[in-house]
Amino acid sequence: MLLIYSPESSWTEDESNSCREAAMGICQEIAAKGQFRSASPLYPVATARTVRVRNGKQLITDGPFAETTEQLGGYFIIDVPNLDEAIAIAGRLPPAAKGTVEIRPLFHLENLPPERLTQRESLAGANDLQYMFLCYDDEAAWKQAGQDALHAAMQEAVELTLELDRQGKYLSASPLHPVATATSVQVRDGKKRLTDGPFAETREVLGGYYLILARDDDEALEIAARHSGARVGAVEVRRIVEMPGMKSISGGAVS
Amino acid sequence: MQLTHVHRFIYRCLGLELGAWRDNYSADETSFCLAQPMTDDLPVVIDSIYRTESRRVFATLVRLLGDFDVAEEAMHEAFASAVEKWPVEGIPENPRAWLVSAGRFKAIDANRRKGRFQELQPEIAGRFDQVANINAARAGEEIEDDRLRLIFTCCHPAIDPSVQVPLTLREVCGLTTEEIARAFLASTATMAQRIVRGKAKIRDAGIPFVIPTAEELPDRVDSVLTVIYLVFNEGYSATSGESVTRGDLSGEAIRLGRLLVQLLPDPEVMGLLALMLLQESRRPARTTPAGDVILLEEQNRQLWNREQIQEGQAFVERALATHRFGVYSVQAAIAAVHASAVQPAETDWRQIVALYDALLSLNPSPVIELNRAVAVAMRDGPESGLVLIDAILKRGDLNEYHLAHASRADLCRRLGRTTEARSAYENALALAKQEPERRFLLNRLTQI
Repeated sequence: MLLIYSPESSWTEDESNSCREAAMGICQEIAAKGQFRSASPLYPVATARTVRVRNGKQLITDGPFAETTEQLGGYFIIDVPNLDEAIAIAGRLPPAAKGTVEIRPLFHLENLPPERLTQRESLAGANDLQYMFLCYDDEAAWKQAGQDALHAAMQEAVELTLELDRQGKYLSASPLHPVATATSVQVRDGKKRLTDGPFAETREVLGGYYLILARDDDEALEIAARHSGARVGAVEVRRIVEMPGMKSISGGAVS
Repeated sequence: MQLTHVHRFIYRCLGLELGAWRDNYSADETSFCLAQPMTDDLPVVIDSIYRTESRRVFATLVRLLGDFDVAEEAMHEAFASAVEKWPVEGIPENPRAWLVSAGRFKAIDANRRKGRFQELQPEIAGRFDQVANINAARAGEEIEDDRLRLIFTCCHPAIDPSVQVPLTLREVCGLTTEEIARAFLASTATMAQRIVRGKAKIRDAGIPFVIPTAEELPDRVDSVLTVIYLVFNEGYSATSGESVTRGDLSGEAIRLGRLLVQLLPDPEVMGLLALMLLQESRRPARTTPAGDVILLEEQNRQLWNREQIQEGQAFVERALATHRFGVYSVQAAIAAVHASAVQPAETDWRQIVALYDALLSLNPSPVIELNRAVAVAMRDGPESGLVLIDAILKRGDLNEYHLAHASRADLCRRLGRTTEARSAYENALALAKQEPERRFLLNRLTQI
């Protein structure tokens, strides 16, 4: 998974458009190799909401999970054979020259429903909006809680995806490998710079994502609050900008 | 080494005696003939093969299996299998190939067995194929040295530099975690943690076991040079313990340096190889048979290895001729100036000071300043050097560095300032960790 961070305010309208065009071109290229799964820009961080559940109560705050100078503006989910290929793609994304692209390997979890990214149009929630949940966890706390607690929480998350899938609202979800496996890519003066570690060092770190369909923000927030991690960590809810051209690329990936 | 005990035990049970096998096996040969009967010194042979071949076998297994832990286990299984089978079947013509194939077989077998029970195994099985395919596709265009491949993996820029070095020493060179911790004056737990973190990153983030393509190489080579030189130094002056040198590690670093020069004849790559060769050339002269340190100016220069000096000097010239040299080439040039002096008195200290100036401008560091101060003392007299050393110490940069105090002591001694010399030697002694160095300092102290 490539997480694209850059200072939102640094993009002019023209730059934004040409960035999207370039990204679309890269998507097409990746799709041609059968390595493309999903990619989208996100609505500005001002529209983000963060959900926590404490003592059975939903705590919803406006804004992202963490205030940073560079904001998560989009993501790519790709299937590449190794980190070098992920780095090569990350380095070509225009935001890498302004901000940071964080590369996170997905953790393979059994029992998740199959991805429905390419079937969006035929799902029950076809007319709904698309949201991304960014699930932040305290890795140290989970380590302390033990393997059993972690497995139970993951199983609960799987149940949630299965239920959403039955309702035709599920698109994709996955946990990520621990943040120690993250690599951050920046391009400055035309040179690629790599850092071992995530874009920002925080106590709670991105541990997984969901892509779902929901009628509106309220429904999305309600679903987010049901993620097991919301009780110990936080879930940032971001609306996805659906790009008209993306449909054909996603479709092309399967054929 | 645990394996030794296993061998001894097995061979004692078999009633085999120790004999002359050791002489028949040379570390440079990948295969050796079976001129001697099988009854002799097999445990010693297997030990010797373990020492010289285990990291090569491991590196190849990493490439074939795509996972450090799986490869490590397979490598040990392969040696266990050798202990069992070689007494009966004889030592294979090419032990390394035998061990690789045995290890690979064991790993695939183990994976198959586990596969029925463990969910994550398909991922590893997938990696087996993936890695094999990538390597097969690239095999033609790159040199076939799996340890070099492994070095590039361990020194991948997506791995933190503090992790790259211990990881390389552990996985490529086979140092124990304890040895690495000692070399870097860190706790074993810290080093173990870094190594585990590095392996997890390689495995989970999917860092490939491949030599970078030609266009990626220049960017990737810097961290590899750093690591190779650290390995050399670990072999040239082990930071603690009984013996001052560990030739096997230095030899290993030089071998890796040569391979890198073939792959990438960049000035700094040549500079590093030259530096290592020129330092290595003095090895026979730098310690007494008892293992005590002999300073450069007191060394018997007849003992210096002329062949290594010539090769080193040739690489220095090639590196400097490019005018794109860096810190390794300049350090090699300094070593080359020393090497050209048949007598210490013939040393061209003016040139050495000038080279240290160049080095400082490329890489400002208090240790280089200290070396420059010593060179200035040789050029202009002890007093001039002492002023510089005192200034460095006054800044507090090298207060914990035993050689700063030892150098100061030496200059005071030359100036006849006995009391000052004594207290500086005592400071140095309190900080020195290596036995031979401590003996040297004690010796100097009693001579005053």
